[in-house]
Amino acid sequence: MYSNNSLSVITVLVVALFLGLPLFCLSQNCSLSVSGYVIDSGIDEPMTDVHIYLEEQQVGALSDDKGYFEIKELCEGHYHLLISHIGCEPQRIYLDIHQDTLLRLELDHSSIELGSVVISAKSTPASTQNRQSINEQSISDNASQNLANMLESISGVSTLKNGSGISKPVVHGLYGNRITILNNGVAQSGQQWGNDHSPEIDPLVANKISVIKGVGSLEYQGANLGSIVTVEPKKIDKEPHLHGRGSLFLESNGLGSGLNLQVQQYNPVIAWKINGTFKRSGDKHSANYYLRNTGNQEANIALQLEKAFSEKFHTDFYFSSFNTILGVLRGAHVGNITDLEFAFTRDEPYFTEDHFIYSIDLPRQNVHHQLAKLHGKYLIDDSQILNLTLATQINSRREFDVRRGSRSKFPSMSILQLSAFAEGKYQKEFSKDLVLKTGAQLNITDNTNDPETGILPLIPDFLSYEAAIYALLNKKIDKWFFEFGGRYDYVYQYALVFSQTLPRDILRYNNHFHNTNVSSGFTYNPNHDFSLSFNAGYASRNPAINELYSNGLHQGVSGIELGEKTLRSEHSLKTTLAANGHIKEKISFETLFYFQQIQDYIFLNPQDEIEVNIRGAFPVFKYEQADAQLYGFDINTHYQISKPLGLKFTYSYIKGKDISNNLPLINIPANNLTASLAYVIPSWKKFEDIEFELTNRYVFKQTDILPEQDFTTTPDAYNLIGFQLASDIQLAQNRMRVFTKVDNLLNVAYRDYLNRQRYFADDLGINVKFGLSLTF
Amino acid sequence: MKQFNLFFLFLATALLLVTGCKKDDPEPPEEEIITTLIYTLVPNNGGATATFRFLDLDDGSGPVITNGTLEANTTYTGSIELLNEQESPAEDITEEIMLEDEEHQFFFESGVAGLSVAYADTDGDGNPLGLTSTVTTGAAASGALKITLRHEPDKNADGVSDGNITNAGGETDIEVTFNVDVQ
Repeated sequence: MYSNNSLSVITVLVVALFLGLPLFCLSQNCSLSVSGYVIDSGIDEPMTDVHIYLEEQQVGALSDDKGYFEIKELCEGHYHLLISHIGCEPQRIYLDIHQDTLLRLELDHSSIELGSVVISAKSTPASTQNRQSINEQSISDNASQNLANMLESISGVSTLKNGSGISKPVVHGLYGNRITILNNGVAQSGQQWGNDHSPEIDPLVANKISVIKGVGSLEYQGANLGSIVTVEPKKIDKEPHLHGRGSLFLESNGLGSGLNLQVQQYNPVIAWKINGTFKRSGDKHSANYYLRNTGNQEANIALQLEKAFSEKFHTDFYFSSFNTILGVLRGAHVGNITDLEFAFTRDEPYFTEDHFIYSIDLPRQNVHHQLAKLHGKYLIDDSQILNLTLATQINSRREFDVRRGSRSKFPSMSILQLSAFAEGKYQKEFSKDLVLKTGAQLNITDNTNDPETGILPLIPDFLSYEAAIYALLNKKIDKWFFEFGGRYDYVYQYALVFSQTLPRDILRYNNHFHNTNVSSGFTYNPNHDFSLSFNAGYASRNPAINELYSNGLHQGVSGIELGEKTLRSEHSLKTTLAANGHIKEKISFETLFYFQQIQDYIFLNPQDEIEVNIRGAFPVFKYEQADAQLYGFDINTHYQISKPLGLKFTYSYIKGKDISNNLPLINIPANNLTASLAYVIPSWKKFEDIEFELTNRYVFKQTDILPEQDFTTTPDAYNLIGFQLASDIQLAQNRMRVFTKVDNLLNVAYRDYLNRQRYFADDLGINVKFGLSLTF
Repeated sequence: MKQFNLFFLFLATALLLVTGCKKDDPEPPEEEIITTLIYTLVPNNGGATATFRFLDLDDGSGPVITNGTLEANTTYTGSIELLNEQESPAEDITEEIMLEDEEHQFFFESGVAGLSVAYADTDGDGNPLGLTSTVTTGAAASGALKITLRHEPDKNADGVSDGNITNAGGETDIEVTFNVDVQ
């Protein structure tokens, strides 16, 4: 999907060497030089074509075949050195130059280069879990997308959507309650159970977004049965001046626009960073018609503060506020199954307009999410670290539907969820090769429905307590890295459910669950060119509140959803095997095979009965349990055809089965294949790192499903072509990046299996985007 | 170390404050639902009134349907009444439909041979509404009569003002089916 080459600077080591005594002791010495070598830390080899730019002097240099660069005739003073390379967020280092200076710049040019997706195949792995990330530049280049859509560029990740604006990640076939999303280390708390509920996170606050594809790492709270998505802002750079970046994007489909501004400054008293985002778009357009009421608006702000009280004690504070209004396709709002069947027969959805409309009408979702986190890190001694965290979240979700009378001004769903989280973590390095991490966590969730809706709530009010302890041990022996871990969670749920009988009584349920997780794995690194990782994890997940007590019409899916009070916990065993490597710096590959067996897998099973009430007939879905299997593989390869030309190929295959009833599982992503060709020009006039990329994505038809498991047949396979042109421009004091991008270049009409809107309308047509960002 | 102890103390206090929270009992919402549709058919030239009633209290007991019998070759004036009988006394929803008449339309789909239903009222724009209707029976027969209330239909779409639901769109607020016996 994306075109940037992967390269992330993780360490910039500055080794200033004294190259000889100054010959003249003048007050102003203007014959100094800055020179150095750029090294790829992954393979310890020189890197060419890295741009080095001295902002104050407005002079630059390009590293040569030996990774060497030199800038001469400098006066004594303070300088900012900007280091940039294709696909990489420019890194700025602050230098105080009094003599000739030799630098050694280490860039983590990951041993595998697979587009914007950086695979962490470093020589010393932090985990045997498979992790893939999206870097800062790629986040910035895709600023118009939401979190889940951004993650789709990672193989094995799909999205469950309701239109283009509402989407949530599906990793290896699992989603919702089984995926944990960590926002700055804190598990996102909200109505994650809903298939039409997007994660309430602004991806533009992050410098790195990753997916950990094994069984969720044991050190994180949440349901450790599926994968984990981490959204991580980085620490504030130790840079005494005010710096930042402003980005702007425009897109043709939906006439979308957005602005993001990040400003930061380090200072010994307190370091701060502010990040603000504003996005807006109107009705989107499919290949042939407008999609009425599919606009969205978003306004977010995040504040990051860091203070070091001493060498040993650091604290940081983080606050983020996410606010959005999301439109839902008007023609997708249906009353009962008759309406749904009428909708299937139409070429264009009901309420289609022949012109563009900006405003967001009904149905829509108004969502607010606030997170505040206070964290302290105490270095007890050289080998021991103690971390304490306290966080709180407020999630408010109000969904408005088309209703009779003047009731449309009242939401049909209105839930406020408060949560508090506390964590203590202790890390001990017994030796360089043996590390113990252990911790304890407490999480409290308080969920309250607002009776303003005038509708019996789908999920009840509840209070839940989760207490957990865990320990992880890492051991490195020569070329082997081993990992063992265990985790125990105690969960207490107190739910207050309205009775189905009149007058409405309150039924009280107290549940106690015990979840255990064990994981172990190894990574074998025979040399820099190859690594093999194996991980096996056993995990259990207690039934969630919605699975136990849902009762009523889920308007979003026009079905009656019934919880089951007697559900047991799910138990899962997942194994992953990853092989990563490269051949002669020409071909690189990453393959991941996985197999997951889930005992008592909880899923919404369509029932034979149809419920008839005064509003008509409704299909009934009930939460049931069966044994399930999920398996598949993800392949990423990159072939550097010549120095400027590279070919990338990604393939994801997945199969999901209910083995108790010998049925396919529903909502399993269709297999897909992406190929892209990128051409890079290091410099041309003022332009640097110019990149052209042509992408082709083919999504197969999901055929592994029975007709009675869906309302209608699954959509056909489709093929989308995309194009991108991006370049950096070095200005006198600043660096600018411009890109233009075309999605669905041939304006293909298609529908995607995991997009609920497919029942009513085609997916998005051609979209031309333009973006500009200025680093200052 | 001192600062760290203070920090720890602060976190511990904050945590204690949070863990002390209690859950209050929720207030049940005043449910804004339609529980009852009554279709009363009065013969234009005298005779027995027929009443069809669909009651669904949403109390888990399922709907209660009362069907009626009509005379052959007779013209009736039909009127629809909507109630919320969860409330006591019952709340009349019919008025609400009248106030928003442009946004609503009833559709009558007859599966009874010889029985036809025509609109006998209009909304503010002169389009049919269906709270009042004219029912004409033919020879003795029996079958189903489906009554649908659509919210925000496109009344200008092809056939909609003649009572054809196919192109109406909008969403269904009510969809009930009665068994009609014409004797």
